[in-house]
Amino acid sequence: MGDGTEEVVVRSHVEETKKLVEDEQVVKNKLVGSDEVKNDNEDEVFEEAFGSENDEQEEDSKRESLFEPDDDLRLEETLQSSKDEHDNFEEAIGDLDETSSAEGGVKDLKVDNSVVGESHREAEFDSMTSKINGDKVEAGADNCFGQIESSLDVVENTEKVNSNGSNLAAEDVNMKVDNSVVGESHREAEFDSVTSKMNGDKVEAGAENSYGQIESSLDVVENTEKVNSNGSNLADEDVNMQNGNTHSVLENGIVSPKNKEHSEKAEVISESVGPVEPWDDGIEVENWEERVDGIQTEQEVEVDEGTNTNHVEKDSVCIDNESEAKINGETGVDSTSSIVKSASSDNSLNDNIVVASAGSSSPLEKSSSEEQAETEGDSNGLKPEHDLASSPNSNMESTEVCSNSGSPEVTCREHETVQNANGGHDVQQSPQPNKELEKQESSSVNIDPEIAENSHVGRESEVVNSVSPTESRSNPAALPPARPAGLGRAAPLLEPAPRVPQQSRVTQQPRVNGNVSHNQPQQAEESTTAENDEHDETREKLQLIRVKFLRLAHRLGQTPHNVVVAQVLYRLGLAEQLRGRNGSRVGAFSFDRASAMAEQLEAAGQDPLDFSCTIMVLGKSGVGKSATINSIFDEVKFCTDAFQMGTKRVQDVEGFVQGIKVRVIDTPGLLPSWSDQAKNEKILNSVKAFIKKNPPDIVLYLDRLDMQSRDSGDMHLLRTISDVFGPSIWFNAIVGLTHAAAVPPDGPNGTASSYDMFVTQRSHVIQQAIREAAGDMRLMNPVSLVENHSACRTNRAGQRVLPNGQVWKPHLLLLSFASKILADANALLMLQANIPGRPVPARSKAPPLPYLLTSLLQSRPQPKLPEQQYDDEDDEDGFDESSDSDEESEYDQLPPFKRLTKDQMAKLSKSQKKQYLDEMEYREKLFMKKQIKEERKRRKMFKKFAAEIKDLPDGHSENVEESGGPASVPVPMPDLSLPASFDSDNPTHRYRYLDSSNQWLVRPVLETHGWDHDIGYEGVNAERLFVVNDKIPVSFSGQVTKDKKDANMQLEMASSVKHGEGKSTSLGFDMQTVGKELAYTLRNETRFNNFRKNKAAAGLSVTLLGDSVSAGLKVEDKLIASKWFRMVMSGGAMTSRGDVAYGGSLEAQLRDKDYPLGRFLTTLGLSVMDWHGDLAIGGNIQSQVPIGRSSNLIARANLNNRGAGQVSFRVNSSEQLQLAMVAVLPLFKKLLSYYSPQTQYGQ
Amino acid sequence: MGSLVREWVGFQQFPAATQEKLVEFFGKLKQKDMNSMTILVMGKGGVGKSSTVNSLIGEQVVRVSPFQAEGLRPVMVSRTMGGFTLNIIDSPGLVEAGYVNHQALELIKGFLVNRTIDVLLYVDRLDVYRVDELDKQVVRAITQTFGKDIWCKTLLVLTHAQFSPPDELSYETFSSKRSDSLLKTIRAGSKMRKQEFEDAAIPVVYAENSGRCSKNDKDEKVLPNGEPWIPNLVKAITDVATNKRKAIHVDKKMVDGSYSDDKGKKLIPLIIGAQYFIVKMIQGAIRNDIRTSGKPL
Repeated sequence: MGDGTEEVVVRSHVEETKKLVEDEQVVKNKLVGSDEVKNDNEDEVFEEAFGSENDEQEEDSKRESLFEPDDDLRLEETLQSSKDEHDNFEEAIGDLDETSSAEGGVKDLKVDNSVVGESHREAEFDSMTSKINGDKVEAGADNCFGQIESSLDVVENTEKVNSNGSNLAAEDVNMKVDNSVVGESHREAEFDSVTSKMNGDKVEAGAENSYGQIESSLDVVENTEKVNSNGSNLADEDVNMQNGNTHSVLENGIVSPKNKEHSEKAEVISESVGPVEPWDDGIEVENWEERVDGIQTEQEVEVDEGTNTNHVEKDSVCIDNESEAKINGETGVDSTSSIVKSASSDNSLNDNIVVASAGSSSPLEKSSSEEQAETEGDSNGLKPEHDLASSPNSNMESTEVCSNSGSPEVTCREHETVQNANGGHDVQQSPQPNKELEKQESSSVNIDPEIAENSHVGRESEVVNSVSPTESRSNPAALPPARPAGLGRAAPLLEPAPRVPQQSRVTQQPRVNGNVSHNQPQQAEESTTAENDEHDETREKLQLIRVKFLRLAHRLGQTPHNVVVAQVLYRLGLAEQLRGRNGSRVGAFSFDRASAMAEQLEAAGQDPLDFSCTIMVLGKSGVGKSATINSIFDEVKFCTDAFQMGTKRVQDVEGFVQGIKVRVIDTPGLLPSWSDQAKNEKILNSVKAFIKKNPPDIVLYLDRLDMQSRDSGDMHLLRTISDVFGPSIWFNAIVGLTHAAAVPPDGPNGTASSYDMFVTQRSHVIQQAIREAAGDMRLMNPVSLVENHSACRTNRAGQRVLPNGQVWKPHLLLLSFASKILADANALLMLQANIPGRPVPARSKAPPLPYLLTSLLQSRPQPKLPEQQYDDEDDEDGFDESSDSDEESEYDQLPPFKRLTKDQMAKLSKSQKKQYLDEMEYREKLFMKKQIKEERKRRKMFKKFAAEIKDLPDGHSENVEESGGPASVPVPMPDLSLPASFDSDNPTHRYRYLDSSNQWLVRPVLETHGWDHDIGYEGVNAERLFVVNDKIPVSFSGQVTKDKKDANMQLEMASSVKHGEGKSTSLGFDMQTVGKELAYTLRNETRFNNFRKNKAAAGLSVTLLGDSVSAGLKVEDKLIASKWFRMVMSGGAMTSRGDVAYGGSLEAQLRDKDYPLGRFLTTLGLSVMDWHGDLAIGGNIQSQVPIGRSSNLIARANLNNRGAGQVSFRVNSSEQLQLAMVAVLPLFKKLLSYYSPQTQYGQ
Repeated sequence: MGSLVREWVGFQQFPAATQEKLVEFFGKLKQKDMNSMTILVMGKGGVGKSSTVNSLIGEQVVRVSPFQAEGLRPVMVSRTMGGFTLNIIDSPGLVEAGYVNHQALELIKGFLVNRTIDVLLYVDRLDVYRVDELDKQVVRAITQTFGKDIWCKTLLVLTHAQFSPPDELSYETFSSKRSDSLLKTIRAGSKMRKQEFEDAAIPVVYAENSGRCSKNDKDEKVLPNGEPWIPNLVKAITDVATNKRKAIHVDKKMVDGSYSDDKGKKLIPLIIGAQYFIVKMIQGAIRNDIRTSGKPL
């Protein structure tokens, strides 16, 4: 630290004497040295900070992962050389204190300057700047980092800041803090702003929590005082101004101009102070505290940062600076005009750089390369400008700008920091140093280690460069976690395509134009070349929304520090990012610009705010709905009555709150009792009718804070609301807790519970209830407190203040407006449409191709005309007709045979019996054969007859139909087989049905695998065969089953046409439920029956399942090798959405020689399925072998390629019942196993 | 039931002024041969029943948790002091999820079997503006459970008395309006006739159980109007306990709700008689029918 202080001193000297670059360089060198010394412990950090090329390279590699933490560590280390981060912070604070105490204000000031320089270096990392600043500064920096990285850090920072403030208590400290803040802001722009806040806190000296922007103003004053004490160089005021400037610069990178301005005129300073003060004036202190509390989440931290930036932006100066800077960059002349110009140039550079960085966004490599390229390009384009600017300005800032231009985003930050530094140190510096710096920077950009050696500025620039790559890297890699996506910077960094500097400029310019154009037409000129992104328009609109919101917040007296404001801004940024992720740079500085614009618009007071918000108030009776409305408008709009239903009907009122148009719909009170829900419904329906034309933007659900609904007593009410309006009513709902000034109830032990705890509990209860009522567990309705009592404590402005210090009305309104704003933004970006839209297509899963394929491969019989039902068999078996002829006669030739009665059988001897049975079997066989043959003959005759009839006139055919028609008397169908069940009470009888002449065949569907006593009839099946045109058979079958869980439907229609000889085409339509969806299948199959022994078929099918269509193709071949062997092979493929499944199956059948009679049968089945490279093979074989006269052995085995298989043997016999005794064996064994343990126990 | 009767330690916790008054009131009771008194505390959930009990006893005898529903069972706290026994029965809230918690009522009733309720403290909050249907239902449920007479032994306790009423109303106006509306609800809910209700004359007492209750120079908790409320409450309790009405004795019959079986008992012979005649009539009609149809089958 000693080194740091020395350095600071040097800087102060520089400032005082307005030494040239050399001095600065010296200072820088010193700083570097100090850094190095400190760095010894943390070489990396220092290197990074310095931005030396080597460091950069290393950093590039390391920064991604290490940068943030490293920075912190480094800072800490630098501050204290070697300590833990936290410890370091603390220590740093202590150091700061020490320094302040020891060195006095002047030193502190110097320190601040140095800090600024550091900040420039590390600007990107915030931590660096903090280091430079000295302990105090570091503390601030830490804070900044903390914010960036984590809420905890922020807290620490704030604490540190406080400590700093307390310790220093001196103005100098404050100054330093400011500087450091500036540095931070530069680094992370958005985040930096946070740091600036931190600084403000520090400045406040202990105001810490409040970040105390208010205090910051004070601090500024103090700073000025200190500066005065320093008095070495410019007026203290100037120094202060610098601080202020740095803040601004940080934000916009415009610091330099401010600084210049400060240096130029005290007035400028005052101006800067002025803006700062307003920020401070805001209730930000409270907010800060809140933030600190809630910043635990990174996002919040980011938000804070964003808000900070916004604050910075709010400073009109910043905006101006940016515009100016741009101008400067473009036109060197302006820069020459004054420091301000240079600053502007810097700003422009920064912006450019930022843009470039955004473009580069890529990791270190990109950053480095880009930086180089950019530096080159910048040097080409910008550098001249910079040079010009720098030369006239002769400010470090200009040089910085150059360096910035050279370096990417990091450089931008650096520039900012540099600017800060400049503002602090360099304001007085001559242009020469700037030039040098520029050169150095350019060189540094090129990754020259030499640059590091150069003046501090150069180093800084280098550092910045290095930092920038690191940052850029870190952003994609390490930073993202640290910085939520909401950060503006992160977004640009993430942009994939490295942009040419020119592009970056262009993009920047449009932005600038959009925001700043009002202020500065000059920019507009430049911006004419702006390329219009497709998202530009959207972004513009978004920016307008942002501005609008900031204006609203401003009117409500809320600074961007406010948690709500910050969150909204964050979410807007996030939305923008989501939306414009193709390379459109999400405005890193858009917050700044928006806030600046909002400031200006508000200051001008001319532009009417195009915003109105409709709030609908819902709630139980007597909670204070009308009273709340009266409070919102600060006048009695509705009369209230404590004891009666004050509001009898829905009514609305319009009014202006802080110039914002607010429309409020008051509704009659709802009743909590379950029995009153009908009344509630009536009320709510009237409300619904009322809001039909003019729906509210926000729903404010009011309940009393001091009514502990410990039960879910309001659930009915909330449910009713959900029912009437739909659960979406809660998506834009705010929970208002009235009677917020109530005293919290005593805790279990009789002691009073804390107010915050009380509020939290109540909020939680209500939020949970709403969540349940809305059926959406993600809901998290914001809670606002309300107190309408006239006796409520008020602040000086007459606003009601709650026990926790909150001024509730602005908070409530802000919440409402924020919701509306976000809804607007969502509508603009159509995010809502996208987000819900996405899951839908994603959800539609791929169709079950294997299943579809299997069903396709199935060989289906083609529907036939009734009279042709047996044709196929004829065809199949026809070829062996001739061979049967001799057997046919054989039966007739047999001698007459007389069956024996049982008594006669009993008399036969064994051999006789056997002979008899054999004989009988043989005869039976023959007889069956004969019958089959006769049947065949008969059919043939019939066919011929039918063919003849067809030729006859119609009248005859009727006769035929009659004669051939089915029985006209309904005959009971045979009972369905009983399911395997022990249930004696099988309900089969209930489902008997008749076989009537009706062509419709309707049957119940029995689920045989159900539970006992379960009525297994779950559906109905209907079938019918039509004949169209006497030629085309159409079969229809439909089945509907329904069990407790789901309903299944299956419908099948098929028809076939014969054309040509042996060719037939069938067309089928299936409809069936698959899962929860209906699958529609259309299939077509053509068979070629040209050969006796080989029949081929090919088919196509199209299935529509859900929203996906799958198409399939199959080929089938049936080979009939002989009477007893046939084989069916089929293969096919099914495709859907580029997904293909292949499958094949083989089925072979080996029959007994005399097929219809013999019982021997062996089948072999094999199936293969390939889907997603997943091969499934399954095979099964089944054989049925007759054993003896009355027994059958059936063996079955199946196996798949997963190794799962099954083997089963089954013997059935109509004699030898004793075989069944085998089954007793396992039974016996089981019994034994039951028995044996008992005996053991008995023993 | 059967819970230990302990010495009233908490009594010593009261400020001296309060103690004096309490002793006086209890003495009055003793004069009327009342050596024990049973107070039943009922009301909706979260109104401060348990806190009131604690305040009355002067100890943290019943667990109070602001955000959780109390247990489902009634709790009896008995304290004895100088031969006088005070039983206070704290009951669970009577409203559950928008319904009247009949189950809780049944529990309370079962708990009270063979006890006599000298005083019922019906507790509600003062700082609530509206009376809704639910209040009426609660009252109705209590009436159904214990009978109308219980309201003659009732004391309306309005807790959270230390609050500032809405703008245009004075504290007195507000509290009287609030108690009026509640009394009206009780009357409506209990279906008492106006005269009957006026005779019952339910007294209203305000209470503030919060530890932040302001205190007077004697360290007594006082209401905004400056009156110490605990002595007031006890005084009102003794008044109610010693009024001429009979204390409510909860007997088996009341608990079992045996009335339903007894109802209409007397009608049984009447109906049988009527049946006899109706059957006769029908038989006569049938015979007549047969006769007129000419040929008996």
